Amino acid sequence: MIAHIIRRILSVAFTFIVVSIIIFLMMHSVPGGPFDANDMPVSEAVRAKMMAQWGLDQPLHVQYLNYMWGVLHLDFGVPFQSPGETVVELISRAWVPSLILGGSGVLIGAPLGILLGMAAALNRNSWIDYLASTVATLGLTIPVFVTSMLLILIFAVWLNWLPASGWPQPNRWILPIICYALIPLATYARYTRSAMLDTLNRPFVTVLRAKGLSERRIIFQHVMRNSAIPLVTVFLPMFIGTATGSIFVEAMFRVPGLGAYFVSSIEVRDYTLQMALMLLITFMYCLAYLLSDLAYALLNPRIRTGGTE
Amino acid sequence: MNALLKIAGGLAVATALSAPALAQTTVVAPSGSTAGTYMDYMKTVYDRGTGSELLQIPIATFDKEFELTPMAAESWSQSEDGLTWTFKLRSGLVWSDGEPLTAEDFVFALQRAATSGYDFAWYWDFAGGIKGWKEVTEGTADVSTLGLKAVDDLTIEVTTVAPKPYFPSVTSLWYPVPKHKVDELGDDWALDVANIVSSGPFEIESWEKSNNSVVFTKSDTYTGPWAPQIDRLELDPTLNAPEVGLPAFLAGDADYSFLNTGQVPVATQRYPDGIRKNAVFATSYISYDLDAAPFNDVNVRRAFYYAVNREELTTTVLKDIAIPAGSILPPGYPGYNPDVVAQATFDPEKAKQFLADAGFPNGEGFPEVEIWYREEGGYNGAIIPAMAQYLQAEFKEVLGISLNIRALPGPEWMDGLRGKKNNIFIAPYEYDYLDPSNFYGIFYNGGRHGYFIPEYDEIVAKADSESDWDTRYKLYAEAEQVMIDQGLIVPLVHPVTIAVVSDQITGDGVQPNSLGFTQLDRLGHYFFTHITKQ
Repeated sequence: MIAHIIRRILSVAFTFIVVSIIIFLMMHSVPGGPFDANDMPVSEAVRAKMMAQWGLDQPLHVQYLNYMWGVLHLDFGVPFQSPGETVVELISRAWVPSLILGGSGVLIGAPLGILLGMAAALNRNSWIDYLASTVATLGLTIPVFVTSMLLILIFAVWLNWLPASGWPQPNRWILPIICYALIPLATYARYTRSAMLDTLNRPFVTVLRAKGLSERRIIFQHVMRNSAIPLVTVFLPMFIGTATGSIFVEAMFRVPGLGAYFVSSIEVRDYTLQMALMLLITFMYCLAYLLSDLAYALLNPRIRTGGTE
Repeated sequence: MNALLKIAGGLAVATALSAPALAQTTVVAPSGSTAGTYMDYMKTVYDRGTGSELLQIPIATFDKEFELTPMAAESWSQSEDGLTWTFKLRSGLVWSDGEPLTAEDFVFALQRAATSGYDFAWYWDFAGGIKGWKEVTEGTADVSTLGLKAVDDLTIEVTTVAPKPYFPSVTSLWYPVPKHKVDELGDDWALDVANIVSSGPFEIESWEKSNNSVVFTKSDTYTGPWAPQIDRLELDPTLNAPEVGLPAFLAGDADYSFLNTGQVPVATQRYPDGIRKNAVFATSYISYDLDAAPFNDVNVRRAFYYAVNREELTTTVLKDIAIPAGSILPPGYPGYNPDVVAQATFDPEKAKQFLADAGFPNGEGFPEVEIWYREEGGYNGAIIPAMAQYLQAEFKEVLGISLNIRALPGPEWMDGLRGKKNNIFIAPYEYDYLDPSNFYGIFYNGGRHGYFIPEYDEIVAKADSESDWDTRYKLYAEAEQVMIDQGLIVPLVHPVTIAVVSDQITGDGVQPNSLGFTQLDRLGHYFFTHITKQ
């Protein structure tokens, strides 16, 4: 097991380096630089001066090595678009709203989705099942900016129960959290339903029933545990997907989160921030898959030993 | 003890909750862009902190009728030879930390702008024509050679390379920089609310950097003209998109909102008295790489000029958000000339003839071209993509040619334009100062498009330094005639913004001007100091 973890960590480190090189090269191969003026050209002298100030006049490999040397010391540089702080400070400031919203969204949406999926699986082809399928399909197919718009229209404009958008008062969190929660809710409802139906049809369930085990014990102790693997697979990546902020949800609800920085850092060629955000995502996904792997092992002893059934 | 604490706590909460409701009036408005680096207009214009210009007092600014009004200056005068301007500042102006505001702060602002990589530095050469500006920004001359001098605490002297009769209007973008703060903290003075000082009608209370929204309060130390009538002002760029702004407005979270075309009928029905229009002093036009085929042929360019049905374009696809452009100058702008505009007709026969003269009868043999436009937000974002598709269909129908469309992010589009990586572009431009030289300057001596037309340059140079206004306007009309004859651009449309304003906002600021336009945040100093909230 420990050897397995070490191998995984080494592969994470390797992925990290490869990804950093790819991102760095792609970032610099896009035309236009951070100090190309929007409307009128700045004089060459001035541009050269600014490029030198940020070390952008150096050869690419030197810039890359300098950056990565900084990364090793947890120094991600200073964002071009917010020179008064470091990249780390910027991310830790802007991440808070995204984490609150995305985190709550997953923590509320996932359990609700599981419950809905279970209810659907246990009452197959009933109205509950149809309702769950409808909710799941709508939740996955309607884009978030449409959902946001509808929520604002219903709860803020027509009913006037909640503010339309803004930050930081907690009553302004409610609508974006609902918006965020819909995706895990829909995803989980679907996954849970199909995983449970799959498990319920397996012979061991029939055996358990034949042994006279109560339906509750069968469902919660056996069926759920056996259905949990696909749920674990989607949980952490989904958590990352929402916790890093959605540009749409944040724009619609005027949340000062991290989402917009993903776009703006690319748009204004904010190399330092762009690298840091991409590395952050890479790191989080690697970590998520590592943790998921460990969770599989806990849930299913067959994975732990690496053996066959 | 516990009970006492509870009572004290309760009282504190009650006071906190009731105090703001007592007297404070807060206006919440859309404004600016969601990214801002420095809260210092004289450090960066394109990436500025929201409202950084409102924090400072310019030398002069415009009221809603576009009359130039002295602000920090009390008066100005031009020397006999027309080359030197002397600005007398008002006495008693101070920075919000109590330091006196002096001529030195204005001179320092421009000296720093010329030397430290100011993204708007071109303006002071292009618009201001300040002596030595080009040399200093290019690093070939010392900053002391600039035509700028603080004669005493209240007197500024500016020398220009040629007579600039409109120079005072250029100073509407000349804001002071607190030299005492820069000496202490460098450019970083404009990064933290705790260090930012202001000289204008508002002071800064908070700045959310993640979306560049700010809260300003009425300045206690400001003694200049136009004191604010509201206590607090929240400028929030996240409200700029009508899709976000209007719902917030309807829910009472914003005091006005810009509207997209779909929203106009709904808002007009609900708030017939709250609708405000503004003809932005801006123009969208087609520009070319004049050296590259097929647009190196004047006949091709003239064919394009006559192939656009501007009326149809602005009454169908761009309904309510743009008006036809027949000139680079928008209506109401100084120098606007109806004779020039009248020439921009839709004439398919003429267009076809010009294309045939160029050797492409009915578009036969015309190479496939791709028009590049810049991805943008705001009014341009609403207009340009739809317009590009219209042009594509129109050019196919009238000229029989295939036009592909490509949208590019700002830096790539600019890179393409500067590096002549494509041969045809849709370019938008919004005025920077109120004088025809502004718009004609974008094609002068290379300018924005790398156009070098000696005949045009000669007329524009003459017009720029002409002191008789009628003669000037005549010269500019001549310059535009050169543009038309040589087909240098195709003027397409002038954007119009439409907004809905809450009836709680009153005052001169929200009353339309004599042309029927309400400027809202585009003349921020005037607008935000001339509104009240009930």
